[in-house]
Amino acid sequence: MWNKTKSLMLSRILVVCFSVMIFMLTFFVPFVADWYEGVSEGMGLIGGSVYVPMMVTLYVCEGLAVWAVAELHILLKNISKGEVFVERNTRCLRGISWACLLAGGAFGIMALWRFLVFLPAFFAVMFGLIMRVLKNVFEQAVEIKSENDFTI
Amino acid sequence: MKGGLFVPIIVNLDVMMAKRKISSNELADIVGITAANLSVLKTGKAKAIRFSTLDKICEALNCQPGDILEWQNPAEKS
Repeated sequence: MWNKTKSLMLSRILVVCFSVMIFMLTFFVPFVADWYEGVSEGMGLIGGSVYVPMMVTLYVCEGLAVWAVAELHILLKNISKGEVFVERNTRCLRGISWACLLAGGAFGIMALWRFLVFLPAFFAVMFGLIMRVLKNVFEQAVEIKSENDFTI
Repeated sequence: MKGGLFVPIIVNLDVMMAKRKISSNELADIVGITAANLSVLKTGKAKAIRFSTLDKICEALNCQPGDILEWQNPAEKS
């Protein structure tokens, strides 16, 4: 029977799998950049090779992804402990939001070489904004819970 | 201020308890709240008090809500 505990466990397993994928990506970044250099067409403000900018962007985004996954791991750990509306979780959501926004910025800079990269930049910024709204909702919930806890 | 606005309400529960010579555990038992919650109320950390709790405290201490709660003018304080 599917329940909340199993769902939480699945989320934690997925986070671990994603962490492994990020770690593996470290070794494949030069190949991905090389592949993209081969398949992409030169449509951007800055011409020339995209190999180095693509590699820098991917490594920066990988660092941000590690940060976001670490925050996600803490968030899930707290939820499994029954600590949902706590200040630490709000900080986790803020961290994830900033990681997404910064990744969007990195892709935005990469888009100077290839306009097509504006698409992932847009999605990253959009996701960052959603997380930011969620963080604000969480902040309010923490405040309400604190008020409820201190009502005698 | 982070964590909510400053509320200039002072809880004089400890004064009233001393006047009635009643201990925290005793009052907590009569009112039906935990000693920890009573401590939160006594130390002024509480953000709100239910009318039902106030009613029981007033009944136990034989006093008025005004004997327990006091509003202090923030301008006078500073």
